[in-house]
Order: sequence, then C-alpha cells, then structure tokens
Amino acid sequence: MTAFDEVLDVVPGKRAVAVRNVPGTLTVFATHFPRFPVMPGVLILDDIVRAARLAAPDVPKGSRWVPAEARRVRYRHFAEPGDRLEISVTVIEATESAVTFKAAVGVDGRDITTVRQLRLEKREVAA
Amino acid sequence: MRFHLIDRIDAWDAGRTISARKLTSWLEDFWRDEGDGPQMPEPLILEALCQAGTWLIIATTEVRQRAALLSVDGVSFHEPVRPGDVLVLEGAVESMGEETAVLSGTASVNGRIVMKAEAVMCALLPAEELDGPEDTRRMLERLTRVSVGGGRR
Repeated sequence: MTAFDEVLDVVPGKRAVAVRNVPGTLTVFATHFPRFPVMPGVLILDDIVRAARLAAPDVPKGSRWVPAEARRVRYRHFAEPGDRLEISVTVIEATESAVTFKAAVGVDGRDITTVRQLRLEKREVAA
Repeated sequence: MRFHLIDRIDAWDAGRTISARKLTSWLEDFWRDEGDGPQMPEPLILEALCQAGTWLIIATTEVRQRAALLSVDGVSFHEPVRPGDVLVLEGAVESMGEETAVLSGTASVNGRIVMKAEAVMCALLPAEELDGPEDTRRMLERLTRVSVGGGRR
C-alpha cells in the first residue's frame, strides 16, 4: 500500500515510477488558486520524496529515509486538474547512511518538473 | 487542506525582506507519522517560506502581482516540525524584475533553523488572474494588522 494512485515500477536501490492523478475535487484548489486551479509545486516535490522512498534501498526496522536536501528543482509547466503525473525517481548514489536521486515528473510524456539532486538520509526512529 | 500557510506578517520592507509566522496546530490535517511521531511534511515548510515571499510581492506591488514557483536552487531540511510549533519565516529578495523575483530564506522554530532555501525563483503573475484583488487586499490587511490581545470584537 502506498500513497500513490498507481505504482508502475519499483526496484529498491535503483528506481521507482508512480502515478499521481490530479482530480478537480482536491480541496487544495479552493485556495490554490481561486481563479486558477494548479497543483502546488511543493506537493509535487512531496510526491517525488515519497517515490524516492520507494526507490531507496531497504532499511532495517527502526530506521527510515528522511529528506535532507534538494538541489535544482525546476517547475517547467503547471500541473492542472485532469493531469496524470508520472513520477520517475532514479538512484544516483547510495551509501549506508544517505541516498541521492534524480527525478522527473511527466504529463503525457512531457516533463513538467525535474530535480537534479535529492538526498535522503537514514534516521533512527523509536522502535 | 486550505493552502494558506502564513498567519501573520510581522515586518516587511518593500522589495527587500519579510518576516512572517505560521502557527501549527493538532487541528490541522497535514500531519504525518512515519514512526517517530507526527511531523509536518518537509515540502510544506518550504511552501510557508514561498508564501511569505508571495505576500512580500503582493504588498510591494500593492496587490498588482503575486508569485508562482519556477525553481529552487537548493533547499535543506534540518529538524522536524511538530504540532504546536510556531514557524518563523525570514525571507530576503535577491533580485526582482518585472517578470521574476528570487528569494532566499529560512524557517525556524524557537530560534533553531529547521529549513534553509537558496534562490527560490518565482514568476510574477497578475494578481487578479489568481484571486480576487479585493479578497487578497482584505487578507493582506488581516495579516499585517497590529495585534490587539485576543482581537477586539
């Protein structure tokens, strides 16, 4: 079970591809924006982080991957109601304590958001 | 959720800096618990800073323009934000033209930096294309009002 509407591909330690549908019913559109409904860019970044967790190497129970840094995040086109976002995340480098990814989000084959570098770090959580 | 992540503007200097606050509460619906207690999704902390930047643009242009996110050169997250925390947002404009503005800044809780953002670039759009100018003006007045303890009725 994931927060995505569809998961197309997951290879832990390598990559993940997931889908987020953008229906006009999302409550966020009431305020973002009243006259121009678009998906907030930070929520797309949030989905990229979720997809990165799917692509990250498995961690032992009691720890998890948390977002530490993102570099060169670019929003090229708006995501609007009716769009189906395909979120692709690829591992660039993985160590014991941190994983670096690149990511692209496409709608109908066109990139609307890209991230040059996203780093997740391993953090211990109370068991 | 209601995508309005600024509760008060404490100070602003036209075209230059803004200091604003976002209060968090258990009553909000964005909390996420992934094993070590509820915390605010990190991208929403970035959004709070972006919205502080947007209000600076709105105030600076007298509700003529507002901002839409184009790019972020770098953002780092340092500590979790928990229910009840008060996010203090400090934004500084690095450059501002007719079409774009670049802002950098931080979010802190109790004086500790929880997020840092470098070179957040926004497109400056006609404000009335996104929301009714009257509503935006009224909200700006509410955000910048001088607080009367508890609010006079």
